[in-house]
Amino acid sequence: MSQPIHVSTVQRTSAPALSVQGLTITYQAKRGDVQAVRNVSFDVGRGEALAIIGESGSGKTTLGLGIVRLLPSTATIRQGELLYRRFGAAGNGGGTSATSEVDVLQLKGRDLRQFRWKECAMVFQAALNAFNPVLRVSDQFGDTARAHGYLQGRELADRARHLFELVRLDSERVWRAYPHELSGGMRQRVLIALGLLLEPQLLILDEPTTALDILTQRNIMDVLKDLRQKLDFSLIFISHDLSLAAELADRVATMYAGKLVELSDVYTTFKNPVHPYTIGLIHAVPTLTAHRDHVSSIPGSPPDLIDLPSGCKFHPRCPLADQRCREEEPELAPASEAHHWVACWNWQSASDRLHNGQKGASA
Amino acid sequence: MSKIETAPAPQKRPNEALRTLKLLARNRIGLLGLIIFVLMTFMSLVGPLIVPPETQAHVEQIYQPPSAAHPLGTDFQGREMWKMVIHGGRDVLIVAFLAGILTTLVAVTVGAASAFFGGWVDSLLMSITDMWLTIPRFLLLVVVATLVRLENVWMLALFLAFFGWPGLARQIRSQVLSLKQREYIEAAQLLDLGSAHIIFREMLPNMMSYIVIAMINAMTSAIYSQTGLVFLGVVPFGNNWGVMFSLAYAKNAIYNPNAAASLLVPMGAIILFQISLVMLSRSLEEIFNPRLQRGV
Amino acid sequence: MSSRATVGPPKKTASYYLEKIATNYWVRTIAKKLLIVWIVMTLTFFIIRALPGNPVEIMVMSLMDSGLSSEEAYARAASLLRIDLDAPLGKQYLDYMTNLLHGDLGDSYVLAINKPVATLIAQRLPWTLFSVGTSLLISFIIGMFLGTLAAYWRNSFIDHALTNFSAAIESIPNTLTAIVLVLLLGVTWKVVPLNFMRGSLSPGIKPGFTTAFLVDLFKHYAVPGAVYVFSTLGGWMLSMRSSTISTLGEDYVTVARARGLPDLRIITAYVGRNASLPLITGLAISLGFAVGGSILIESIFVYQGIGLLLNQAIAKRDYPVMQGILLVTTITVILSTALADLLYGWLDPRIRVTGGGE
Repeated sequence: MSQPIHVSTVQRTSAPALSVQGLTITYQAKRGDVQAVRNVSFDVGRGEALAIIGESGSGKTTLGLGIVRLLPSTATIRQGELLYRRFGAAGNGGGTSATSEVDVLQLKGRDLRQFRWKECAMVFQAALNAFNPVLRVSDQFGDTARAHGYLQGRELADRARHLFELVRLDSERVWRAYPHELSGGMRQRVLIALGLLLEPQLLILDEPTTALDILTQRNIMDVLKDLRQKLDFSLIFISHDLSLAAELADRVATMYAGKLVELSDVYTTFKNPVHPYTIGLIHAVPTLTAHRDHVSSIPGSPPDLIDLPSGCKFHPRCPLADQRCREEEPELAPASEAHHWVACWNWQSASDRLHNGQKGASA
Repeated sequence: MSKIETAPAPQKRPNEALRTLKLLARNRIGLLGLIIFVLMTFMSLVGPLIVPPETQAHVEQIYQPPSAAHPLGTDFQGREMWKMVIHGGRDVLIVAFLAGILTTLVAVTVGAASAFFGGWVDSLLMSITDMWLTIPRFLLLVVVATLVRLENVWMLALFLAFFGWPGLARQIRSQVLSLKQREYIEAAQLLDLGSAHIIFREMLPNMMSYIVIAMINAMTSAIYSQTGLVFLGVVPFGNNWGVMFSLAYAKNAIYNPNAAASLLVPMGAIILFQISLVMLSRSLEEIFNPRLQRGV
Repeated sequence: MSSRATVGPPKKTASYYLEKIATNYWVRTIAKKLLIVWIVMTLTFFIIRALPGNPVEIMVMSLMDSGLSSEEAYARAASLLRIDLDAPLGKQYLDYMTNLLHGDLGDSYVLAINKPVATLIAQRLPWTLFSVGTSLLISFIIGMFLGTLAAYWRNSFIDHALTNFSAAIESIPNTLTAIVLVLLLGVTWKVVPLNFMRGSLSPGIKPGFTTAFLVDLFKHYAVPGAVYVFSTLGGWMLSMRSSTISTLGEDYVTVARARGLPDLRIITAYVGRNASLPLITGLAISLGFAVGGSILIESIFVYQGIGLLLNQAIAKRDYPVMQGILLVTTITVILSTALADLLYGWLDPRIRVTGGGE
């Protein structure tokens, strides 16, 4: 019934690096189908950083895995389209400077393997266990390079040293090390360096700091901000932490129950959010200027993705819910400002009625 | 018994066995295993009361192949194989049951103590277990069997248990370790109910299914070792399946087509019983712990 | 962890080095095995000297049967066992250990009169080590392959068939497997000539690097080897299957896929190598099991190994030979498991640094 809407970025002049159109992913479970991602559409511009935020169980990791086609066998992509655009001279062979388009969902075998990591690398949440424990870091870099016909030997080591410097690692110590000899923060930075090895156009970071302590987390965020300035790549940053998203992202997409509910540039998201859920999330973030008492959490818990509520999936937790919200699900539609999209029937009155103080905007 | 209200441990008792049987009946392989197991046990324990034993040789019908007159053929003394098989199961089964129970008892004691107390107790017990697991126990068993006369089923069962516990002890240990993490055990520890209470009233009841599976596996290994000992002639037993096939083999029944039945029938009985035990234990595993994978 | 090593060079005293050595994986592995060897030697001594059916008494009796007087028989038994039976038990134990360390296992008195047990064993042990070792290797490789196959095709028909088959063959006594194979291959189908199922070499063939020897060696090995493989294969397959299934769930496998590595590389270096680590520990157990089974299998195939010798010694109650075989095989097995442990340490870098343990 709902046809995918085209949500495009006009911030950047060129065509987007990745267009996701109406992506729908379900898992087969004993009780029924888990609707993890429902009709999600968005673009990621060239060199742009998009943050996808939401509570755990909102389908954001599934979305990330779907983009690199790494879903477990119980998951199926029901519908949708993933268009990836390769800019400039292609590294292997062709030498065409024209932009080429890749339909990611049609990729198979060798082509799919080449797409992974070379075009789109993904840094996972559980980086502590992301490396094969029995191979040295150098071997795992070598494996990746060999799989993509990239540099070998001395040249590879030089390139790795350069990347280790970028992520602020002591390359002498790391290069010959086994994963267990490195701390969690170091391993995460090694994985980021490995992600950048083949100069991918798109990097997906799935909760890259969640498992780390607060100081290490800070460190990684600094490294990432630094990398964004020095290198040219698009970024999808998946997180439940709004403040981290604010630091890194150009635009923010809020995800709830497998669906995008609000999409805007980072400033608007914090300054003028209009979806009650986004407003609630921002209120839940403690800030320096807000009083402790003002920090509130959203009542209730995320819905069961197998047995979703009717109408707007947020209505059981929404203070503004009315009859229409209970019956009809809103689709993502333009809000007042340009490039601001929201899926809510009451968005116009939401910010006023939820006494959305400007406090959340400090970042 | 205890006056303190304990954290709710999943209550299971008499109808648990009934429920298990119902589940087993729905599992095709498990049901088949159960039927074979019950039939062979019944045949071996009750059969000898009905069927008279073959005590005398019948020289006129030595080595008859199976026929209408001799359903399973006859052996080197002309005895009816079907009667021999009915009388030959009792000792094998009793030794297997006893050894299974004793092995499980030792394994549960060692494994549970090791996991529950941890520390140096764990290190010591597991070192002993590993050592016992590594050395060629069967050779030792054979040599000891020549020194100590394993004359009755009890002695043999005791020895099989003494030589067979370490593998199970390791499995029980890892099982208890994972059980220790569960909430109601932690709650009981917080309430300071005492080790004995926690082990015997909280942990063991919840491990019953696992222990039953372990016992069936112990029976399988007991029959395995017992067959070898009988074949080597170090266990002085009368008529049983092991003795029957060993004698037939020693009399070169293998090269005489007419004698094949006297060799194959007792072998088939042992293999059938073993496979019924395997089917039972694997189905129980599937029922109780679908995610459990048999490790080393 | 390794923090002590990286914290810089404070004072490296003697105790520092002693601790380093004491916590070293290789040192600990060897020390542990030597301890077990010592325990086994002690145990054997007490079995021979202190168990109720005291073998020494039985030996004396049987020597008296052959016409010796009670004193003569007593002295003869003592000289065969190399123990001064009148000395206190402590002195006897010391003598016994000294003799063992010199490789003196006493003399046989029934099987091969007055021949040193050590010589008898030295002739037979290589055959057992060859047949058991080769079979274990073959069964390990096939089991790993089938286990990986079943794990990758989990819950498929092939998986169910393989696991049920493995569980079933694991429970069938190896004696029965051996007899069934002789019956099928040698008697019913006549695939393998029966004379290749007797002995370890054809008469007249001399050991050496000749084609004739190697071909004959293989022909005699084939069926008993198949029995060893058959009786250990199921265990390997089931262990490898469960180990592979849990490895497939590891994050580094997903990451390796995300990195676009070829499937072959992932299966071998990422899944296979990690999944087979726990199996290396199982190698020790399996070796002990297979060597134990050699007494049955070598007896059935009249294979000239240590198991057959033990069976003959048991039939004749030749205690010095029995004691010697028990000691030598157990020690060989334990030392072989030390090799497996060292291999494990070499394959798993995590073990090398810390003391290992559980």
